[in-house]
Amino acid sequence: MALKGGWAGTILRVDLSTEQITRESTEKYSRYIGGMGIGYKVMWDEVPQGTHPFAEENRIIFGVGPLTGTGAMCSGRTNITSLLPSNPFHGVSDSHMGGHFAVEMKYAGYDAVIIQGKAKRPVWLRIVDQDVTLEDASVFWGDGTFNTIAGITAIMGKSSQVAAIGQAGEHQVNLSVIRTGASHSAGGHGGVMGSKNLKAIGVMGTGSVKIAGDRNAWHKLNKDTFAIVGANNQHVVPSTPQAWAEYHDPSSRWTSQKGLFWGAAPYPIETGEVRPEEVNKIGYRTMKAIKDLGPAGEKYTVRMGGCASCPVRCHSHLHVPELEAYGVSPNVANTCMGFFSPNGVMKGYKVAGKTNDEANVIGRSMGAQIADDYGVWCNYGQLGRDFFWAIDHGYLEKVLPRDEYNSLPLDKIEKGDISFFQDFYRRIAFKEGELATLGEGAWYVAKKWGFGEDYWSYKGNKLWTKLGYPVHHSNESDGVVGGVISSMFNRDAQCHTHQNFLFSGLPTNILKEVAAEHWGAEAIDEVANYTPANQAKAKFTKWSIVRNVLHDSLTLCNWMWPMTVSPLKDRNYRGDTGLEAKFFSMATGFKVSEAELDESAERIFTLHRALTAKQMKSSNLRRDHDQLTGWQFDMDPDKEPFTKGTIKLDRDDYDTALTLFYREMGWDEETGIPTRAQLTRLNLEDVADELERLGLLTA
Amino acid sequence: MSETQSQLLNQKITRRDFLKYTGISAIGATTMSWLLPGCTSKDIKVFETADGMIIHESARCTGCLVCEATCSVGNDGKASQVTARIKVSQNFAYGPKGVRGDWVNGPGEMGNFTLVADTCRQCEQPACALACPENAIFEHEGTGAREVDPEKCVGCGTCVRACPWGIPTLDPETNVSTKCILCHGYTACVKDCPTGALQYVSWEDAIQKYKEHFQV
Repeated sequence: MALKGGWAGTILRVDLSTEQITRESTEKYSRYIGGMGIGYKVMWDEVPQGTHPFAEENRIIFGVGPLTGTGAMCSGRTNITSLLPSNPFHGVSDSHMGGHFAVEMKYAGYDAVIIQGKAKRPVWLRIVDQDVTLEDASVFWGDGTFNTIAGITAIMGKSSQVAAIGQAGEHQVNLSVIRTGASHSAGGHGGVMGSKNLKAIGVMGTGSVKIAGDRNAWHKLNKDTFAIVGANNQHVVPSTPQAWAEYHDPSSRWTSQKGLFWGAAPYPIETGEVRPEEVNKIGYRTMKAIKDLGPAGEKYTVRMGGCASCPVRCHSHLHVPELEAYGVSPNVANTCMGFFSPNGVMKGYKVAGKTNDEANVIGRSMGAQIADDYGVWCNYGQLGRDFFWAIDHGYLEKVLPRDEYNSLPLDKIEKGDISFFQDFYRRIAFKEGELATLGEGAWYVAKKWGFGEDYWSYKGNKLWTKLGYPVHHSNESDGVVGGVISSMFNRDAQCHTHQNFLFSGLPTNILKEVAAEHWGAEAIDEVANYTPANQAKAKFTKWSIVRNVLHDSLTLCNWMWPMTVSPLKDRNYRGDTGLEAKFFSMATGFKVSEAELDESAERIFTLHRALTAKQMKSSNLRRDHDQLTGWQFDMDPDKEPFTKGTIKLDRDDYDTALTLFYREMGWDEETGIPTRAQLTRLNLEDVADELERLGLLTA
Repeated sequence: MSETQSQLLNQKITRRDFLKYTGISAIGATTMSWLLPGCTSKDIKVFETADGMIIHESARCTGCLVCEATCSVGNDGKASQVTARIKVSQNFAYGPKGVRGDWVNGPGEMGNFTLVADTCRQCEQPACALACPENAIFEHEGTGAREVDPEKCVGCGTCVRACPWGIPTLDPETNVSTKCILCHGYTACVKDCPTGALQYVSWEDAIQKYKEHFQV
């Protein structure tokens, strides 16, 4: 099947051991769409069972999809697939980054870059269209991500985009990132690059992405999507009461309002009220600084930023002059956990002459900037929680050698002195001493430092399973729906499909109507007043995961997609869940329906499940993978599950939810392993054969 | 701005509609000559002044590059940063001069966040057109935009080298030069810009806007 549009058509393979650089057609992978799908297929075909993430045999795949670089709304994401070092059985996983690296890769002519082997010395990969070379990285080895990216850009040219690791990745710290642009980080796989002696990838493309369909129809489709998009996380109502809006929700990220400014812009720029039809103001809707940093974020905001082809800007670009006193750049960009995770490491900040609100901005910016430069990943905030568990329960003093413990400036935490970040993140990134165990991930920390059962079952630690990853929109999001979603991955779930819909800001009665139209009555409930598992919830669970996988394969931003609802009263607040299929069909020229595209994503996620079984050597993923830590069932002791005001789950009900979900997915209802019948239906017969050969196929 | 021009800029019009407005008043060249460094060829070739130009307000630009994708898909049927006639990405990361010693405090998303776009001025004495050995760059009779005739273009790249802002671009896949044609009056990049950082204004208004923080 010849590829007509959307896909670049070529996959680049770089073997660092032999220094061979080869190309292959994307056609082999077209049933796996792109991004995540290509990544899983490569991992299944090429990485032997039991491979260690830092072994030469492991692959790391930078994947983009048929919509990346087309200009389709919010299509600037890069999907990175590899074995995950912080996972105890090294399950396959994905990390993702936004920015402009992905589109540059497409314009250079590649749908994916597969990296294998290990270089004899530190190298970086230079990609300029068809000219691909391995370059000496000795001058960059040992440096942080900011200088590395600047240095490689200076060599390649100002239009290049670079993804790099910091010292954490070099030292094969399990919790490390790959960073691109001012503020885009893919958490979890930095150490894999480090293990391969690959410091960075620089890419510059002068090509294009063809649109197979009519250009005017394409433009109209994009404009129509502009009309139904909301703010960040697809929040579709404003955060404050506004005359044009029927509803508002204080927690909405549609923050634009009169009197709210980009306060540090060259001249103050008011976000103002932004009505849905005002296409040329969408970029003012989300002023994330006041969500991530508090009210003082306003005066430090230069502008908002984000990814290629996204009108909704979710990265705050700040000028924080106070940071210069610490030798840190005053220009800081980040969003969400980049700003939140430092709060786990320090619980309060004090800066002379500054209010607490201002000190909060300065402290979070400092933490974000230093963690980004060293390339340390927070494991969705778990790094800080583990640190404080170790302090508060006396472990730290016990497990650290006395000299090391005495050298820790813990008094700075007490004083709120933000220079603590420099000391803390350096020790993690350079694997200095016993403290660096924190950088290996929760499972390893608990094992090495002897954390007891109380660590896992304490609600405040937010650990979702004993595999060592925390909640990421779990039981707070429609009870067992979010619960099962969070159990299906090999790291924090990173799924926002359900979250975007449930917390769009619309009243529950409207959301229930929309949910009933898609998945059946009783798919959702009023927040924190959840009902038991049922088939509609199982369908909603499956759809949420399938769309997440679809977005990471196309690639579209799952922080914005799907457009299940819209801000438009005249559409009865309905969005359009068929948009992904429309974009795909028009870009590639292969006309597919919404259901057909979902089935492709179902294939990808089923392959993920098979990969998990294979790597865990488990013929019972229900027992070995999908179990929770306990607090989810034991929290709120004075409340019963399914009562108002609690997100407490019930053990039997969670089991039922798993069974219903397995049934929807066509997996063995006892073991959660995909059945041969389902694998055959999805054209994955070879996967069924391999599982059977390994003794893991149970039905 | 004249009433006619105001109507043009504020309402949705089709390309066919726009052709009705052929011959909108040209603006004196001498008034604008200070805006046109680089367009100093002494060759005499008379070009009617274009009706207007696209200008960029740096402080409002968030670097999403929606403008570039809209431009290249609309004009070429393919998305490309290189052929996009509005050029933000070429200065995106570290500013127009690339990585400098003090890049932390310099322009660009990796510096102090100042984004600098290059836009076509539709010069009164267009260096691209004056330099073209094939006379392939002509003035569109509807908008006055300077356009490349793909039949005449031989892909020599003279226009690319002549333009001080790097607007004409040889499409690496066709070896034909392209440049901003104001979408024959539709100006898709302006219409799609999510922050209103781009505007299509008359030359008269460009002077005023320039004084009001716009980059021309």
